[in-house]
Amino acid sequence: MINLNDAVLVIILLTILLSLASNRLLSLVKNMAIQGFMVSLIPLLLERHSSIGSGGLIFFQVMILIKAVLIPGLLYVALKRISIKREIEPIVGYHASLFAGLVIILLSIFITDKLHLSVPDGNEMLLTTAITTMSAGFFLMMSRRKAITQVIGYLMLENGIYLVGTALTKHSHTIYVVEFGVLLDLLVGVMIMGIIMHNINHAYDDIDTDRLNRLKD
Amino acid sequence: MNIFLLSLCLIVVGGSLPLLTYRRFVLTKFLYALTTTIGCLTGLFALCTSYSHLERLSWSWSWLHTFSLSFTFDSLSFFFLLPIFLICPLAAIYSFHYFDDEEKSFRIAVNLFFTNILIASMILVTTAGNMLTLALVWEIMSVSSFFLVIYDYEKETSRTAGYLYFLFAQAGALIIFASFAVIFSHTASFEFNGAATLPESTKLLVFFLAFIGFGSKAGVFPLHIWLPHAHPAAPSHISAIMSGVMIKMGIYGILRIYFILESTNLLMGQTILVFGMISGVLGVLYALGKHNIKRLLAYHSVENIGIILIGAGLGMIGLSLGDLTMAGFGFGGCLLHVLNHSIFKSLLFMGAGTVIKQTGTAHVDQLGGLMKTMPTTGKSFLVGSVSISGLPPFNGFISEFLIYFAAFIGLQYPPHATLLLTILAIISLAIIGGLASFCFTKVVGIVFLGEPRSKQFTKTTEGGLAMTIPMVILATACLIIGIFPQQFIALAVNGLRDLNGLELLDPALCTAIGAQLALASRLFLLIFVVIFFIRKVLYRKKEITSGPTWGCGFTQGTTRIQYTGTSYARTVVSFFKPFVMLEESTIRLKKIFPGQTTYTNQVGDIAEAGMAKGLTGPLVNLLGRLRWIQHGNVQLYIGYIIMAIMVVLLTLFI
Repeated sequence: MINLNDAVLVIILLTILLSLASNRLLSLVKNMAIQGFMVSLIPLLLERHSSIGSGGLIFFQVMILIKAVLIPGLLYVALKRISIKREIEPIVGYHASLFAGLVIILLSIFITDKLHLSVPDGNEMLLTTAITTMSAGFFLMMSRRKAITQVIGYLMLENGIYLVGTALTKHSHTIYVVEFGVLLDLLVGVMIMGIIMHNINHAYDDIDTDRLNRLKD
Repeated sequence: MNIFLLSLCLIVVGGSLPLLTYRRFVLTKFLYALTTTIGCLTGLFALCTSYSHLERLSWSWSWLHTFSLSFTFDSLSFFFLLPIFLICPLAAIYSFHYFDDEEKSFRIAVNLFFTNILIASMILVTTAGNMLTLALVWEIMSVSSFFLVIYDYEKETSRTAGYLYFLFAQAGALIIFASFAVIFSHTASFEFNGAATLPESTKLLVFFLAFIGFGSKAGVFPLHIWLPHAHPAAPSHISAIMSGVMIKMGIYGILRIYFILESTNLLMGQTILVFGMISGVLGVLYALGKHNIKRLLAYHSVENIGIILIGAGLGMIGLSLGDLTMAGFGFGGCLLHVLNHSIFKSLLFMGAGTVIKQTGTAHVDQLGGLMKTMPTTGKSFLVGSVSISGLPPFNGFISEFLIYFAAFIGLQYPPHATLLLTILAIISLAIIGGLASFCFTKVVGIVFLGEPRSKQFTKTTEGGLAMTIPMVILATACLIIGIFPQQFIALAVNGLRDLNGLELLDPALCTAIGAQLALASRLFLLIFVVIFFIRKVLYRKKEITSGPTWGCGFTQGTTRIQYTGTSYARTVVSFFKPFVMLEESTIRLKKIFPGQTTYTNQVGDIAEAGMAKGLTGPLVNLLGRLRWIQHGNVQLYIGYIIMAIMVVLLTLFI
């Protein structure tokens, strides 16, 4: 029987690899929507043996709404407004990024193995995926020039943190209150980033973060 | 309801009111002065009514469920609360006329707000009952006073002074926290009373860390650099509070740490004594060479901190030797000088503030003859000057005498180092006293006596009533402590009542000393008054004509032939050349009738120069080489984070 949980995790890993290799910003945003959706599904799948109260249900629905619809939607709008289609001249090339993604997965397995955390049974894969997502988010932030890609990298990082939280907690939805707070912060952050990007675009005719270098003191 | 809390509330509310009402300028200032005064008086009332059982005033509450903020009262905090409650309301009243620029009303409101935050935090510092509380309120005190220093933030010098002050305050706080951390690592509690159980070597470490930290606030010699910059930058009544009260918090911290450690190591007292002597002598020496009146007063604060530390050091040595009389007089003199210095130093800063405000210049050599146009300020300033020089019949004499007395008791102990240090302490006290008198003859003589050096100063007027009244009150306080010293000596000695390891000084001896001091002071005053009257009587029937000062019979006298402060102090300053970095222009007269010539001198502070050369210079050099790390590239910054995480993880695994 196919383990639904593992299947979702595999999809998440695939979205990570895809986002590392894609040069179109629009597909990157769509990718993020899928990833957000999958990530928010994970707790539901893990909790399939336990009963979820109505509060918990609303909680996860809101989570899906924000992660899969709202944030990608905002990014989409921002993308449309600044009319940029693709990432040109990334710092690390696409093939190299893809390769780095594979290395990151291997490293994550190594780290999960070494961490010796008391993970609930069957969640080792989850922790691996979580660390991969975090590292990949970092890598994406580091290796791309456009501000919007950086935001996407940051989102990926947050998804990873969320997964770590899911892996380590004992699946009581009250713990997600903290996560929820972080998510709201993130939402506001993305909105502000949209506005700032708009302004950067105005000021520099570009959203390359390289141009921000001259703001240093 | 605890009356003391009420007073704290009043002070904070009084400070916040101006932020709301700053559009009504005069009303704001009036309300502020009124509430602050009432608040301080309430606090004083609460203190005095519960003098015999101070612990009743204590309160505490738990904060964030992890730490408890506790405030306790004992005799030491009582004594350090006195100057706060006495000086701060006077400064608040003084600010009523000092701040008269209505265009800056919002800035003034902010300044008033931070002043009261500073007052409240100082009150809390003296009453803090555990290390965490002390650290918290200490930070509030440092930060609020920083905002007071940068009042004139458009001026480059003010910003530099503020920055310097901030650096010293924060570095000092850091070192204080380090000493607390050492205590915590041994006792695992934030309470003070566990510290006595530390091993002896750790006690020394804790004490010296705390001494550096608190000393940087107090202005002990190598760490005093911020004082002469911050005081001229701040408004005058703020200087009065900072110099009169705030730097005493450093002394309070040193004493508090010393007493909680309950150590009798001789080294502590000797170190304090040595630093006291260095601060005292060099402080007054640099004061002599300075031309800015507030900078000069700031160096006098360093000097007086030195005297206070000499007292404390003698007290500690006395405690280590088991001589309670010496300890009692040392600490008693130290505490009494804390009170006295807060009185006459704020008086002097207020006087200097009035002079600067009315004339528009702070340079000593440009002023002159102000005694005729500003008699109240001049006379109060004179009283302050006599007090700070330690002359009878004023209060400085009393406290310095107690310290002398402790030093003379110390002479009977044969251990070589102690004997030598005690002798040195007596000598340096004498040097300090002499140089201080010299320095204040310079200030009073140049600024207040003689003739105005410039036409514009002939029409200066006395400052407003709100400025003169606090000065008169303070001058009267100087005289009262000088003439009725018994009660105050008893009060100062009782300041150690609740501290462990120290029995009360024999009250009989204390009274006897007090009575003799009182006799000396009163006799002195009597002689002065008698001579004054004799002079009056003798001159009654004679005709008195007054000519210009320094007229010297010239037909075309000019005010420029008067002595200047620079030339007056030059002989003494150049005598101490190895310690003062004197830079002067040389004068060579080439012709028989020489033309116009100029002379300037600049007295450098060896601590400042040493720190610039030995510490900041290399540091700036080193950090300048590391500037490439900050390149502004966001991607590489993220790379740094990844690197850091990897290093942490790898060190965990391997």
